[in-house]
Amino acid sequence: MPRIITCYKWVKDEADIKVDTSSRQLTLDRVGYKISDYDRNAIEEAVRMQEQHGGSVIAVTVGPPSAKQSLKDALSRGPEEAYFINDPSFAELEPAQTAAILAAVIKGRLEYDLIICGEGSSDLYAQQVGPRLAELLGIPCATYVNKLALEGTRINVERKLDDGIEKISLPLPALVTVLPDINTPRLPGLKQVLAAGKKPVHNIGLKDLGLTCEVTLNTTGILAATMERRRLRFGAGNEDIRKVVDALLKEGVIA
Amino acid sequence: MDFRLTEEQELLRNSVREFTQQYLEPIAGEIDEEGRYPAEVVAKLAEMDWMGIPYPQEYGGAGADYLSYCIVVEELSRACASTGIILSVHTSLASWPIFQFGTEEQKKKYLVPLCKGEKIGSFCLTEPGAGTDAAAGTTTAVLDGDEYVLNGTKHFITNGPVAGIYIVFAMTDKSKGAKGMSAFIVPREAPGLKVGKHENKMGIRASQTAEIILKDCRIPKENLLGQEGQGYRIAMQTLDGGRIGVAAQALGIAQAALDESVKYSKERVQFGKPISANQAIQWMIANMATDIAAARFLTYYAAWCKDQGLPYSKEAAMAKLFAAETASRHTSKAVQIHGGYGYIKGYKVERLMRDAKITEIYEGTSEVQRMVIAGNLLR
Repeated sequence: MPRIITCYKWVKDEADIKVDTSSRQLTLDRVGYKISDYDRNAIEEAVRMQEQHGGSVIAVTVGPPSAKQSLKDALSRGPEEAYFINDPSFAELEPAQTAAILAAVIKGRLEYDLIICGEGSSDLYAQQVGPRLAELLGIPCATYVNKLALEGTRINVERKLDDGIEKISLPLPALVTVLPDINTPRLPGLKQVLAAGKKPVHNIGLKDLGLTCEVTLNTTGILAATMERRRLRFGAGNEDIRKVVDALLKEGVIA
Repeated sequence: MDFRLTEEQELLRNSVREFTQQYLEPIAGEIDEEGRYPAEVVAKLAEMDWMGIPYPQEYGGAGADYLSYCIVVEELSRACASTGIILSVHTSLASWPIFQFGTEEQKKKYLVPLCKGEKIGSFCLTEPGAGTDAAAGTTTAVLDGDEYVLNGTKHFITNGPVAGIYIVFAMTDKSKGAKGMSAFIVPREAPGLKVGKHENKMGIRASQTAEIILKDCRIPKENLLGQEGQGYRIAMQTLDGGRIGVAAQALGIAQAALDESVKYSKERVQFGKPISANQAIQWMIANMATDIAAARFLTYYAAWCKDQGLPYSKEAAMAKLFAAETASRHTSKAVQIHGGYGYIKGYKVERLMRDAKITEIYEGTSEVQRMVIAGNLLR
């Protein structure tokens, strides 16, 4: 019966980010947060595997103390307990730091057979935390996974690559990073939501880990990309092609 | 004072939003057009534990509060007001009187399947000659041995054709007027219960409304809800809670009108600029948003009062009155903002405007709400 750890990140909901068109500044004051999209697939896959094979599911997240509001959300999706590793300095972690923190917590504290992460986060999409964590724990890793099946002490996976599907088998313990088409995360029912608050949460601070965490990633500025629409209309006849080409030349799109 | 919802209520709102995006928005226009009951969506509401939100888990409910229930009705109605009222009638008008006035046996037998969504609930008070004047009803119930025999016709019954359990009001002693009315739990399979004419409505067309005909309809004596003569009181108290549900429904409709208006006015270009650049449109949207915020506070406050065990009759009437009139007024403005397009089937605001009107009528017209409010203030 697999003991599964699933990792998630609490990120800004990009749907709430507004752009001031004149200055291109992002307006973040009314922005909501959410569990990073692919991490929802990771949690769902862990819970499905538990439903099929038994075992346990633990959710783990690293973030600033404000990420506390993610816990009921994560737990309502099925894991039976959560590890909340938090410190004010965790607001802008680099993937290498996140992976080191996760590894420090998992090593010695948690027993596991499988770790499931999302392929990348909705904000940075660096795709590094999963593979780095596997490396630090010294376990095999498969990325781009869109199918997962447990078979005895091994896990069979399908990796969706640019030029085809790769089928591989990994000995447990192992780590996989999953793509969104692996499943459709279920919506938690109301009883699940209400029960989430009663599930155990283990708070772990920076001090408990004996780590220091210096902010190395400094955001110096963010500006929105803009798209200016010319609102040009063209007919669909042969003679209109010339007009399209002329317009593209005039705008400098083609030379 | 705290204006924040709990984390659970926020999570619930998010789930309902995702739910409606996935299951309701894609079909809402179509089921309105066809007047089709969305049985497949109602089944999913049960899977989400939304069919008995404010009732204890021992009766199959979710064990949450009335405010949570309002949030669900609001968000469902934002996508489809028909689904909002299906749930509201089921929860507030059919399940609540059993929860509040039922015996333990009645709760086990009837509340549990309602909360689990195995059966749909319906509330049969209105008659052709007894709308606002509910005590003028002519349906009778006569005790015959171990059974009551019900005779009469109820009409405009929401969920009538799809319900498994009906709360029926009938006169056990006509000479006593309102004090001679009693409430009964009538299962669909009771002999003599028939679904009559289906109504072809202007709005909320996916919710099913029909006559319920009781002809020598026999039910066991133990299906009397509360005591004989308590019916009118049960009906009025039930409607107090129902009004909070309708307020939430109206709120969802109004919010949808705002959502559509903001979106459309930013996209629609006339005279070389989006129409949202015009002050005339901006003011309509500002008024809309302000009234909706006020309606939301009134609605949530009424629900909060109910959750706190405080009196809520006046608060529920105020919420329903204001939210319903907000919905009617501003769905009309939303059509105005959409211009000719807003008058065409397929544009959501056309449906919203039709759906909004009923919220000023059912579960007590706006005039009745004013009577209730004034009655509370002037007694």
